[in-house]
Amino acid sequence: MNEGLYWEGMSLLDFARGPALRWAVIIFVIGIVWRLTALLLASRKQLEPAKGSATSGGMKTLLTRSAPAHELEKNIVFQHYSGYAWHIGMFVVLLFFAPHMLFFKDILGFGWPTLPNLFITFFTVVTMGILLVLLARRLMNPVLRQLTTWDDYISWLIAFLPFLTGIMAFTHITFGMRYETVLALHFLSVSALLIWFPFGKLMHAIFIWPSRYKVGAAFARRGVRA
Amino acid sequence: MSATTIPDYGTLGERAAAGLKPKGLSDEQKIAKAKEAFLAGMTADMATYLESCIHCGMCAEACHFYISTGDAKYTPIYKTEPLKKVYRRELSSMRLFNRITTRDITVQDLEDWKELAYDSCTQCGRCSLLCPMGIHIQSMIQVVRNGLAAAGLAPAELQAVSDEQKDKGSILGAGSDKLREVVERVRAKGVDVPLDKEKADVLVLSSALDFLNDESVLEATAKVMNKLGVNWTIRSDGFESANFGALSGDRVAQKRISKRIIDAALASGAKKVIVAECGHAYPVLRWEAATNYGKELPFEILSVAEYFGQELKAGRLKLKKAGNGASHVTFHDPCKLGRMGGSFSEARDILNALGVKLTEMESHGRTNLCCGGGGGVSMLKSALPLRQKAFELKRQEVERTGAPTVVTACNTCFQTLEAGKAWLNWDKDIVNLVQLVSDNLA
Repeated sequence: MNEGLYWEGMSLLDFARGPALRWAVIIFVIGIVWRLTALLLASRKQLEPAKGSATSGGMKTLLTRSAPAHELEKNIVFQHYSGYAWHIGMFVVLLFFAPHMLFFKDILGFGWPTLPNLFITFFTVVTMGILLVLLARRLMNPVLRQLTTWDDYISWLIAFLPFLTGIMAFTHITFGMRYETVLALHFLSVSALLIWFPFGKLMHAIFIWPSRYKVGAAFARRGVRA
Repeated sequence: MSATTIPDYGTLGERAAAGLKPKGLSDEQKIAKAKEAFLAGMTADMATYLESCIHCGMCAEACHFYISTGDAKYTPIYKTEPLKKVYRRELSSMRLFNRITTRDITVQDLEDWKELAYDSCTQCGRCSLLCPMGIHIQSMIQVVRNGLAAAGLAPAELQAVSDEQKDKGSILGAGSDKLREVVERVRAKGVDVPLDKEKADVLVLSSALDFLNDESVLEATAKVMNKLGVNWTIRSDGFESANFGALSGDRVAQKRISKRIIDAALASGAKKVIVAECGHAYPVLRWEAATNYGKELPFEILSVAEYFGQELKAGRLKLKKAGNGASHVTFHDPCKLGRMGGSFSEARDILNALGVKLTEMESHGRTNLCCGGGGGVSMLKSALPLRQKAFELKRQEVERTGAPTVVTACNTCFQTLEAGKAWLNWDKDIVNLVQLVSDNLA
């Protein structure tokens, strides 16, 4: 059924892991640079004498904000730990699945130890499960519903698809498609992620650093640990 | 210790609001003015915050108004929604896409957000400490207020007092004449108050909110200042700590009101300006005034708690062990002095020197829970039911300390805690720090 998936002598898989991925990476990098530059306008100079160093306060908050004070954290335990679990799961699958490592090794020139496939399958299933729970929560929780925009759903889907196509390829549960097609879809979903990344919510992975720095600096200037 | 007997702020605010003339703006003008103010407030820092929100809603769990009601609309970042929308459509690098997905703000939005930016936000800054992305939500709310005020949509209570203070320098009808009258009352009690001394090292500010009905706070402050033996004064041309321009969100008023204090301090050659026990007054003068003035200032700005704390540390302020009931206390950190001001240790040093047992609340210091009265909210009668709910959280934390006395260092917190006593038939003693110091001078 995939006989038709050729274009100018190139299979869908060739396209997916060739030009599609290459252009996606280019858009990813240019997009991030563009969006960051748009924010690097000069900050307003404050003329009041500071109580503490804004710079060192800003740097500290980059890390300390990951673990808020107990009296603040006690109300957000679920969000906090589900957030941790999803991000950790994602990085484990991204970096420690053997074929992923080999893909990066091709680009970087060095490799690292990987985890057995059973672990990766476990992390993938758990990670997808968390994403589904978080989506359900976004759809049902009134606090989240009122804040939600299209970007949240697009970004959710964009983050979910690489896991879905990945586990389909890995388990060969392909719903009748050829393995190569599923693998191509996996590459395409990653390309979609890279392309969407700079323009949507996924960009928070970058924005978190200037934002945390700025809030840390704003409070540190007033002598408050934030 | 007895409470001062100022009529409650809601009543005062209502009286003031009755005299307010509406600005008479058309709907289009309201939107245009609000947008203009929003865009003026969108500094690089603000843009970073606006880009960073991941819509996780965690900030709700830091807010006393959300925690106490469970009502989703009190989610802090949701209170900035009009600002977010204008940013998305007008300034974000994704604006072409955003114009398709985000609809423009309407006058109805602005009307609806009045409650969210004023009644249900004391600008306590607690959410700014929880946001995992590090968004300074408190600073964004101020820009929302700036936009609403520009559109003539600030609550009448705050706008009326803001206009009065901008134009006449008085608040709630209490200006320099009232100050002179109160000073005479204090002098009649045998306490010297050097009013309008031409030159002085220390300029002490007061507030009509302190002395409207009662001279006790001014008297207490004067007693301590005299005991310290410094060359100090109060000036009738610049004594009001409060800044209703900041509370209403009227930036022009805020600047002009701050400038009055700066001019008075410069004229007197003061090296230190001591801000009365008035919450928002401290950060507005300490952390915003010089930048708004456009020049670094040749004097220090200290809150009265901070100043007394420093004098204590330097050995110039001597205290005896406190008696009369204040033997076991808890300290309510005023948000604007603590989290938004950076003054935590001074009040505690003073309590320590007084020899009282201090039991801290679970949320104290930088994570303190607001009493619910700050940011001008105590002036808004419409906010009363909400404030009473939020106050319950404070009450619970106070109760758990087992301390019979709550000490604080902000007039608004003091009034709110006193009001809470009346609402709840609560048996706590509320004491302000200045009074405690003045009663126990060695």
